[in-house]
Amino acid sequence: MAGATALLRTERRTGRIPRTETGGGLFSGGAGRTAGLALAGLLLAAACALSILAGNYAVSLADTVSALTAPAGGEADRIVWHVRVPRTATGVLAGIGLGVAGAVMQGLTRNPLAGPGILGVNAGAAFAVVVAMSVLHVTSLTGYLWFSFAGAALAAAFVYTLGSLGAGGATPVKLALAGAALSAMVGSATTAVTLLDTSALNDFRFWTVGSLTRADTGDLAAVAPATLFGLCLAAMVGRDLNTVALGEDMARSLGTRLTATRVLAVLAVVLLAGAATAIAGPISFVGLVVPHIARALTGPDYRWIMPWCAVLAPTVLVLADVLGRVLIRPEQLQVGIVTGLLGAPFFIHLVRKRKVARL
Amino acid sequence: MAVSPMTRASSCSPRTAFALAGVFLLAGCGAPAPERPAGEDAVTRTNCGIDVAVEEPPERVYAAYQPGIEVAHALGLSDRLVGTAFLDAEVLPAYADEQAEADYVPTLPSREGLLETEPDFVISGFNGFFAENSSDRSVGTRASLRELGVRSWILSPLCPSEDGLTDRAIDPASVTVDSVYRDLRDLGALFGAQDRAEQVIGDMRERIAAVEAQVEGAERPTVAIVAPDDDGGFRVAGGIDFSTRVIEHAGGTNAFADLTGKRNIEVGVEEIVERDPDVILTSTCCDAGMTEQDARSDVEAITSNPALEGVTAVAQGDVHPFLFADRAAGVRAAHSIELVASRIHPDLVEH
Repeated sequence: MAGATALLRTERRTGRIPRTETGGGLFSGGAGRTAGLALAGLLLAAACALSILAGNYAVSLADTVSALTAPAGGEADRIVWHVRVPRTATGVLAGIGLGVAGAVMQGLTRNPLAGPGILGVNAGAAFAVVVAMSVLHVTSLTGYLWFSFAGAALAAAFVYTLGSLGAGGATPVKLALAGAALSAMVGSATTAVTLLDTSALNDFRFWTVGSLTRADTGDLAAVAPATLFGLCLAAMVGRDLNTVALGEDMARSLGTRLTATRVLAVLAVVLLAGAATAIAGPISFVGLVVPHIARALTGPDYRWIMPWCAVLAPTVLVLADVLGRVLIRPEQLQVGIVTGLLGAPFFIHLVRKRKVARL
Repeated sequence: MAVSPMTRASSCSPRTAFALAGVFLLAGCGAPAPERPAGEDAVTRTNCGIDVAVEEPPERVYAAYQPGIEVAHALGLSDRLVGTAFLDAEVLPAYADEQAEADYVPTLPSREGLLETEPDFVISGFNGFFAENSSDRSVGTRASLRELGVRSWILSPLCPSEDGLTDRAIDPASVTVDSVYRDLRDLGALFGAQDRAEQVIGDMRERIAAVEAQVEGAERPTVAIVAPDDDGGFRVAGGIDFSTRVIEHAGGTNAFADLTGKRNIEVGVEEIVERDPDVILTSTCCDAGMTEQDARSDVEAITSNPALEGVTAVAQGDVHPFLFADRAAGVRAAHSIELVASRIHPDLVEH
């Protein structure tokens, strides 16, 4: 209890979790943390440059630079502007959404295996989109984006209500169980709709394996505000996620309003994951794995984990997409397959590693 | 005396045994038992490495996919069809009346659904129907059907390297129009429709030769068969797809002929720009009422893609509606070759 009181005092004073209590990361010192984040930013820039340079149609460095600075309407310009730039931008936007949403999910549920999928958010979004396509014949991204958000929000609300029933309110375990149940139920319904409607089936491939090549610049502009708003909400709950990590009783005694925190956090996840899913389809493991990498690098403070996720996750996603382009040339692998291949071993590692599993 | 043929017949089918017994009853006592080793009457043809033997022409035929259904009609087996499934487009006009009479379901049957129709022979246009791990529904391997007395046939340009495998394992050497002729001849023999088969083969040969004569000596444009995917990628027809042969007979070259890993290859938009095909054909599919009119949206998706603006086919207005059904290995081949020739050599071949 003495330790807890000390912690409480430290927390009230600094809003920060003392490093000695929870273990630090590689870049958890003050200046080191900022320098590390800047370094990660450079890494993201390098990944984007690589993504704009790499592809089946050979464009030289000089041609790429002139295409970016002074496009004249040639083949290289078309490749750079209509293929590689939108593709890279999709990776950045979706990566930010998935990474930060994953961090918020893990903080909220205190579950190291949580990702944006854990609350049934992705399943709800996909189901709403499939229904929109099959029943209402909506095909454009800007048309079904709202269905994606609505489906995600309804799923989150349903899971939250179900998870709040009974004694103890909305505990992390009950939320995760309700999310898993809803995912299974809604996933079956999605499959049923696609089986009944064969014409929708052809349009559903994207909703099975995510890809960065679908969205165009107009689509990206349409979802960017949602991502931005989601980031603001996530930033607002960063401090409270730190106290939630100490357990509910502790969080309450530290003055965290649990219900408000949960509602804001879930809303942030709905916006971030919904927008990412709308432009890139379901992409596995990025939202799960990247927060762990960020935690290892910067320590347990969510106000640092989230910015690190916002930089690391797009780096991972963009590099995975570049890999998908070169691995089986001249064919290509969708980025969802690549992240699955890379992420699965990491997931097994997490499950086996007891220390992390007791986050 | 009458018992001996029955006991001997235990090694052949009951039907033969009863037939033989009938012969002896008619012949009366004292007639000598003719020496007939088991299966002497059987007609045997090899299909995709499997011996298919029938004692007499099968009477209850199930035909799956466009090529299987059209081959059945072409050989005059329409009356024997107990079921047809999964058309990619309208059948050829010559078979429209027959197909209207046939039992048809738009999706493949399950194994139970197939067996419910009590077929004695199954013709499939694609091998996925018998694959153990198929994207479409599968009715089980051919060997497992044979155990139930159901013979089966895969149109041989799609022979998998082994029973139960999908079309990721097609022998490129089998992907020829000659394979289609061989199928017609073999099926004609199994069904006692040799004359009809020869007639169909003769007609196809004639029509294809006429096209080849018209395009002879002309430049051979590169042709890509392209299906836009909803994720921004494209599926193109690779070298082991029968359409590669259709394009060649029609006086062109498949721009993706060197990719022989599978029939449908997933590529990005850059690969199409890189290969710069002279002509692009869509690959629109799959509905029993589908016609070329339904391919317009696929043409639009390709021509309106800003990244493809500089591709020769797009720049010169040579993106044409085309049906997946016309890629199929079957009696449609002559029709497809005429159609593709009229698209890639409009000055030489009339549509």
